[in-house]
Amino acid sequence: MLFNSLTFVVFFVVVVTLYWSIRSWNARKNLLVVASYLFYGAWNPPFAALLFSTTSMDFWLGARMAKAATPRSKRGWLVASVCMNLSMLGFFKYGNFLLENFQWLLARIGIIYHPPHLDILLPVGISFYTFHSLSYTLDIYRGVLQPTRSLRDFVLAVSFFPQLVAGPIVRAGDFLPQLIRPPHLRLGQFLWGLLLMTLGLFEKIVVADTLLSGSADRIFGYGGPLIALDSWIGVLAFAGQIFFDFAGYSTCAIGAALCLGFHLKDNFRFPYAAIGFSDFWRRWHISLSTFLRDYLYIPLGGNQVRPVRAAINLVIVMFLGGLWHGAAWTFVVWGLLHGSYLVIERVVRVLFEKKPWANNFATRALAWLATYGAVCIAWVFFRASDFTVASRMLGGMFGRHLHGDAILSTREMLQVAIVTICVIAVHWMLRDSNIETAVTRLPRWVVTTTWALMACAIILTQGNSNAFIYFQF
Amino acid sequence: MPSSTSSFKNRLRLPRLFFRPPTEAESVHGGPPLEFERPIPPIPWRGITVIVAITVIVATIAWEIYCRSIGYGPTLNDSEDFWTMIRRRVQPESVVIIGDSRGWYDLDLDELQKGLGKRPLQLAMGGGCGYPVLADLADDKTFHGTIICSFVPRLFFAPPGTPPWERGEKAVRRFHTQTPAQRAGQYLAFPLEEHVAFLKQEELTLDDLLKGLPIPNRPGALVPPRLPPYFGTIDRERRARMIDECARGGKLASTIQQIWIPLFTPPPPPSYIPKDVFMAKMKEAIETRFHDTISAVQKIRGRGGKVVFVRLPVSGGLKTLEDQTTPRNQTWEPLLQGTGAPGIYFEDYPELARFNCPEWSHLSAGDSVEFSKRLVPHLRAALKM
Repeated sequence: MLFNSLTFVVFFVVVVTLYWSIRSWNARKNLLVVASYLFYGAWNPPFAALLFSTTSMDFWLGARMAKAATPRSKRGWLVASVCMNLSMLGFFKYGNFLLENFQWLLARIGIIYHPPHLDILLPVGISFYTFHSLSYTLDIYRGVLQPTRSLRDFVLAVSFFPQLVAGPIVRAGDFLPQLIRPPHLRLGQFLWGLLLMTLGLFEKIVVADTLLSGSADRIFGYGGPLIALDSWIGVLAFAGQIFFDFAGYSTCAIGAALCLGFHLKDNFRFPYAAIGFSDFWRRWHISLSTFLRDYLYIPLGGNQVRPVRAAINLVIVMFLGGLWHGAAWTFVVWGLLHGSYLVIERVVRVLFEKKPWANNFATRALAWLATYGAVCIAWVFFRASDFTVASRMLGGMFGRHLHGDAILSTREMLQVAIVTICVIAVHWMLRDSNIETAVTRLPRWVVTTTWALMACAIILTQGNSNAFIYFQF
Repeated sequence: MPSSTSSFKNRLRLPRLFFRPPTEAESVHGGPPLEFERPIPPIPWRGITVIVAITVIVATIAWEIYCRSIGYGPTLNDSEDFWTMIRRRVQPESVVIIGDSRGWYDLDLDELQKGLGKRPLQLAMGGGCGYPVLADLADDKTFHGTIICSFVPRLFFAPPGTPPWERGEKAVRRFHTQTPAQRAGQYLAFPLEEHVAFLKQEELTLDDLLKGLPIPNRPGALVPPRLPPYFGTIDRERRARMIDECARGGKLASTIQQIWIPLFTPPPPPSYIPKDVFMAKMKEAIETRFHDTISAVQKIRGRGGKVVFVRLPVSGGLKTLEDQTTPRNQTWEPLLQGTGAPGIYFEDYPELARFNCPEWSHLSAGDSVEFSKRLVPHLRAALKM
């Protein structure tokens, strides 16, 4: 069920009404479990069974791990959990990718092998809920979380419908404690949740789908050479589209959770105002970057190892982060590019951090421009269906096709330009703040008008139930 | 990426766990509650929400009144989910109409039911290529019913990747992959779309309104051709009917006439493909479509099913253009010869050729009933009924 669908509107109204009408906390939690499985099963009912089986398996493994007498057996249970989760992810998400690459490798050494194409349907949001569930056993192993005794609560923590299919990646340790005491219905919190849902839907339906996706699709789908202007506009359009699409989903999820009395953390913090790549990753898909940091980068040694080793660790983490997004080499290149950016940034920092001009306005502006430009270049690999498209796009962006085609209409170019300027301006204004502070400080009439305009724009756009980009991950 | 292990340790909440044992309730749920709580802006929420709600309701009603005042009326949106709903009704022996918008507007289900003994299911689609649907029915091993395929050469032979082909292909794909949520969404959309005029996804969305802005373009900009404005309604059986304003043949009809011409004019080859290579590719794509159509028809007929192709009325400048760019002897006749299926070409029968399409491409709602009545004997003969 998509947030931007009529089905979800009806579903949400029914769930929220029932939820706040029921007195018993246990009954309310039961309702949320049923609603979450209904929400997930509305895509493909059999996959709800898969979700339940992996969740209950992790619940059991977590309990075994906590009872383990020796560190070795504890580690054994962790390995079992990691293997179970990653093999499930590997089979559904990377099965065909691995087979194709295996076939390619064999062909390189002269062995012709034609593997059967596995007709695997990817369960929606498998990358997200696998991480939700995995965080539970990882935290128990690390000793920062005690296993819950309630299977129902753990099932709810993994499958809670606002964050189930496209994040934020909510760790069990962040959610389970919220199930101890029932939240009370607070008008301000509920209405703030509704406003956030309106904002999220506006970002997705109006900005990402209506104002930006058409230009991005046309440019990336064009078979011929394009001039630099059109190529750059296509990339800027995608940079905006991916942000508004994903941040829109996260904002909706945070708002929906608030309406039910739960608190989810921010997943985005004005990333296009980032100065430097480490700053970017503190602002973009925060729940994934902190997950990779805590469960991968730090166990690999973090910053407590020699600089060269730390740089290699960074690249490994970003390589896996790229692969997490999709079973394609283009995603791997995207991840590796970001890994390289982070390494280069570290070197630059060591060399120039203490220079007197390092923190003046011009340097910061240049650093921002370099960050934004490099992030956009990386987006080319994220969006391109293959390396031929990516190469053609990069060629266009850097002037290889001086006599290429100019295909975008003036209206499309204006839309992308206006949205890009606005998003950068807003991110800059709020880069050291947050949306709650902004809403508190803005005049009431501005908040009212903005909320009403966003709602009207959503109704006018009608929504064509385009899936969120991150569903495929 | 944050680089300090100290911040990492802070996140672990180890001290609290070590210094204070969790309570019974807390230990059941994994640990002490988080201190994290989202801040709620302290603003007068009740007042703001009331004003927003009133504004949105008033604006929506005003927009609805405006849309009705400029001629729009409530009608269902022809979505892939709606198409899928009708596709699901196909039984092994059903009579099914497939193809383009002429099959959609020109064939009256009541008249066909009277003449053929079964109520046909309407699976034709506006601007759509009928081949993906034909192929899908051919691959459905249970189907051995009757297919009435409306044939407009430019649409039927549209190669993969072009909008007409994608329209058919997407509908078929949705039929095979529709989720329960999408199915429920269609049922929920019906009552809304039947009563609200502005819910018209092809025309009154923000995107379409922006496309209508009069902003000049650079030379060479590839601007998609303009699509005709609202001129028909669709009911729950997907039967399309031309609205009276268009049927009267005034300004609306003449506007649409001028839109058909560029839509039906073959586009120039893309600049990055040599013309001869492009033409060779197009020729190959058409030959492949001929071959695939023959194969699909043979499959259906092999199971005892029947296929009849119909060429429905077209008038004025559009007829001249179609006759020039897709002449009968290069499209219609090879199709019938290759497939061995019967065909009904409106021009071959005086009683069918007399109809005039107000906007050159479709019959008015009234004429579609009379046309269907006159078509029935020919259909019965073609289907050997």
